[in-house]
Parts: sequence; C-alpha cells; structure tokens
Amino acid sequence: MSRKVCIAGGAVTPFDYPMHITPEGMIANAIVETQGDVPDFHMTDLEFMVYSHFSVHFGKQLCPEWVVHDHLGLVGLPHVRIENGGNTGGSALYGAFLAVKSGLFDVVGVAGWETMDNVTQSQGSEFIALASDTRYEALAGGIYPIYYAAMAYKFMKEHDLTEEDFALAALKNRNYAADNPKTQWYRGEYKKYKRDLTVEDIMDSRMISYPLKRYDCCLMSRGGAFALITSEEWAKKHAPNNYVVIDGAGLSSCTIRAGDRLAFPNWDKMYGKGYPDMTEFAACRRSGEVAYDMAGIEYKKAKKEIDVAEIHDAFSSSEVQIYKALHWCDADDMKDFIREKQTFMDGEVPTNPGGGLMGYGHPVGATGIMSAIECMYHLNDTAPKKHLSSKTYVKDAQTGLVNSHAGTGTSISNFILRRP
Amino acid sequence: MTDPRLHEIPDKVEWDVKHPNKFRGNVKETGIGFMGYDYDSTTEQFKVYLHYDQLYYWKYAEVSKLGKGFIDGEFWGTKCPKCGDKFFPPRVNCWNLDDNLEKTEWIKLKQEGIVHTFTIAGWSGKSSLKRLPFVLAYVVVDGCKTAIANELRNIDPWDAEFGMPVKVVWKPEDERQGTVTDWWFEPADGWEPTVGDTPEKERMKELCAPVYEWVKSMD
Repeated sequence: MSRKVCIAGGAVTPFDYPMHITPEGMIANAIVETQGDVPDFHMTDLEFMVYSHFSVHFGKQLCPEWVVHDHLGLVGLPHVRIENGGNTGGSALYGAFLAVKSGLFDVVGVAGWETMDNVTQSQGSEFIALASDTRYEALAGGIYPIYYAAMAYKFMKEHDLTEEDFALAALKNRNYAADNPKTQWYRGEYKKYKRDLTVEDIMDSRMISYPLKRYDCCLMSRGGAFALITSEEWAKKHAPNNYVVIDGAGLSSCTIRAGDRLAFPNWDKMYGKGYPDMTEFAACRRSGEVAYDMAGIEYKKAKKEIDVAEIHDAFSSSEVQIYKALHWCDADDMKDFIREKQTFMDGEVPTNPGGGLMGYGHPVGATGIMSAIECMYHLNDTAPKKHLSSKTYVKDAQTGLVNSHAGTGTSISNFILRRP
Repeated sequence: MTDPRLHEIPDKVEWDVKHPNKFRGNVKETGIGFMGYDYDSTTEQFKVYLHYDQLYYWKYAEVSKLGKGFIDGEFWGTKCPKCGDKFFPPRVNCWNLDDNLEKTEWIKLKQEGIVHTFTIAGWSGKSSLKRLPFVLAYVVVDGCKTAIANELRNIDPWDAEFGMPVKVVWKPEDERQGTVTDWWFEPADGWEPTVGDTPEKERMKELCAPVYEWVKSMD
C-alpha cells in the first residue's frame, strides 16, 4: 500500500488590490498563521519547498522565489518554482504531492503569491493575455475574459441557459465572501454595499464580453498562501486535529488556443469525436476522473459523495461549465441543477463557501492553494473560526474537492480531500 | 539520411528586406529605470515607479510563410500528408500522435470561413480599448480542423450569428506588419442576418450603449 499524503495545515493572507505587503512578508505571515493551527510545526521541519508563482511580469523580477526562499531562511533546502497559468497553485500542490508520495520527503512547503496590483487593471489584463498564443490571439485584441465569453456563449446557447443562470454562481460566491474577512470582496465593495448582491446587480453591471458582465468576472489581486504537505505519519504526530488526507489527485491538459480543440486526436480517441469543442473543459473532466478513480468515487455518485468543493470560478460561466465537467450534472439536468441551487450551502454540493475567485480575488500563484486551504477548513472544522460566522461552514463534511484551472482550460487539476 | 521530419535551421539569415521602424517610428528602448516615488507619512509606506521597455525580435522561423503571406495578402495553413488534417493557424508537425511528428506541408487557403462562436467585447487590453465594442469571432477557415480568433467587423455587434459565413478583409498593403492584425473578418458578400429583432439583441444593444459612450469619452 503506497503511503498517504496529507495537508497538515496552511493559511491564506488577505487578498486585495492594492495591498501593501511584500511577497516574502505574505509567505512569512501565512506560515505564522499555519503555526497557530499546528503549533508543532517549526521552520526547521521543512525539507523541500515548492513555490507557486505565475507571472514575473507583475513584479519585474525573474526568479522571485529566490527572494522569498532566501528571506525565509531556508537556504540549503532544495526548491523549485512551478508555473502553470491559473492552475499554478494546483500544479504546485500536485508537485508537492508527488514529492511526498514518492517517499523522498516527509515535510514539503508550498508557497504561492501574485502581486497584480503592481500594474493597472487594463495593463494587467494584457499581461495575462500573454499566456494565450500571443502570435495568433493577444494581438487581435483578445484578453482572457473575451476568450471565456466566446466559449461561455456557445455553452449557454447549446444548453439553453440564460445570463441569469450564470449570475447565480457570481451571486453565491460573492455573498459567501461577505462572511470571510480575508476576501477582496469583503474588504472592498461589500464594505460599501453592506448588503447581499442580487441577480439584478450582476445583470446591471457593465459588459466585459457578452454574456459576461463585471460581476461575472473574478478580481485581480495581491495575495499569498501557504500549504504544508506532509506524510501521514508526520501529520498524525504533529497536526492530529488539523490535517486532511489527499485521497485523489489529477492533472490534465488541453490546447492553448480554444479554437484548436474542435477535433483534437487525443480527445477524439478518449471521449468521442468533436469533444470538447469550445464549450467543455476536457482537462477538468479528465483530471477529475483521475482524482475520482484514485479516491474510489463513482462519477455518477460524485455529487453525493462530495460534501464541499472549492472550484475555480474565474468566471461565473466557467463555474457552471465545471459542474458538468465534474459529472455533477449533464446536459439534461443542468438547468434544474443550477436553478435548484444545488451548489449553494443547502444544496447537494456546497461550492465555494470560502468565496471562490469572484469573492476572494485571484492572485494567480496563491489561488489554488487558497482553494485547498478553504476546503480543508470544513474537513477539520476550523471554518467557523476562520470565517465570520457558521453560515458558510459545511458541518460533518467528510469529502472535499479542490479544483484549479488555467488558460482557456489549458491545464486543470482536481484533488479529493478527506477527513482522516 | 536526414530524418524528413526535422525542421531545417538556416545557417545564415541576412534580412535583405528590412522594415523595422516603419510602423511605430523609431522605437527606442529605454530599458529599466526608476521614475519617481510616493510616501505615506501616516503608515510610513514607500513606493517607487519602475518603467521597463523592451523591443522583441520575434523570429517566425519555420512558420515564416504565414507572416510573409500576410504581407502578400495570402493565407497559408498546413496539412498533414498522412492524415490530411488541415491547420490554420499552422502546426508544423501533425497533432496526431499516431502520425509520430509527421512534418506538415504548406497549403494556400481560401480566405473564407464559418463563425464557430463569438462574443461582443466590452473591455480589453490597453492597446485595444479604443476599438470597443467589437465582435471577436472564432472562425473555421476553409475547412480546417481548427478555428482562429479575430475581429468581425462591418456588422452591428448584436447581428453576429453562429454559423454565419465570413470573408477576409485586408489592411492596405503598406500598413501590414505580417501579423493577425493585418486582416479581419467581415460577413460574406450578400449575407443578411437570419433573424430580426429579438429580446437578446435588445439586451446586447443595451449592454453596448454605455461602451460606445465610454469610448467616445476617451478622446
């Protein structure tokens, strides 16, 4: 029996735009907060560091992980940085998972951050668009929300959905974020609103790219996160009341240009001709299935088995597309699944109770780690302490799902976490 | 014998046709420099302004035919001699693993296609803000297995349709740069919207109205 890998602890800094703290300061803070939950964990326990950072453009600093590593006092320890677009955090977790699973290391730190507030929003959008194939897409005026909108519009038409259906995800995640003091939504616009968002608010917000409006899109942020990935033995001994087990881990890939997945041979062979087209996230389906298989979850029963999920809602539409990719609903029952609010706190799969990307913000390198930490808070019952109330706490959760997503669905990871 | 799938690397490239500064004037690199600072005396926070400028020399290398084609007003894609899959933009090796990196062949494509999906952009990168709102369409060109994104012009944004036929329109020859911004899509000659006013079109018009206003206010 191969050994189990655990998340022994972790923490997230506030996410905000702008925010005045350096990357090394953010990671140090996140480690200190982790030590608050896992008092036995000391800096000298770390054996290997996996850094999670997307774009050196934002800091105009190549190898920024060297600055952080050095500052933390970890000189001499092996370190690598993993960069995989929006799935950088999930990919870094995957790397740490492999490192512990292999038996080479028992205690691995995963530290991620992004400093997107170093540039203006429109310049930032253009930086991120450099993660499209710049020769063929960025110059034509495409930025990520536009690519996603083109995919979402076709998905919306093919499934007979409405803008309002997408808006439900935006409303849910932002309103849950109002219960989480670390989220950009709570720290910013919610403080002004002092009330829950409505579907009308989302419908009335300015058009970003049809059918997506401003409140259908996540936020650019500065923020950091840390996760402590350990062997089960270490976790049992040093973090007995805090740790969760990574029972499934999947990582998959798709084309960089969404226009290249109309007839890709590998997908045609795996899932049938013409899949995923420009509407489905094949890499999400594939990595989800790999994680489900590893955790012994039947695809059709996934929504029953998963008690809480933190998924990559960069756009309200992509959250809905992910529901389908993860087998929570299919083309036939999707409308009911959405309109019965099956991903709200009282539904079948409470999703993004931490606020998601739309509520928290999306400082890319920190995001996937944040999702894992927020999911952990339910499986180890610390959510009521971490959030402002128990309204966003999923009681008695045994199984959680964490999803991290990049490009136009170009790299996607899924993890199954379980209460030990 | 050399494996025919290998891409040739030319020994010497002389650039006898040079157009470096024609479009943006003399681009001067200023490199890295500090441009000032701010201080907040209450919280004792300090910030500096950093500016960085970089000119890149993108080599099209084995996809050079695509760039030169744009200058000449031609669409060049590639085709796998084994499986026959056609690509635009070009792939220089076949994507089918069964074809084991078969080298593709260049083929001249018809400048027409079908809209696969589209969106109306109301926000974009800094360099594209003044063009808003615009339709970005993914178009399958001349029966290729892939779709390429570009702007769809000469249409009211709310009139765009899935499956509509489009043609390619070029910038004047002396303004072309060998990139996808040399051309755009327009509805095929004689095409008319297949549906009249719908509630969705009204909704799109409403969403576009403030974007038109905002862009006007940028002048």
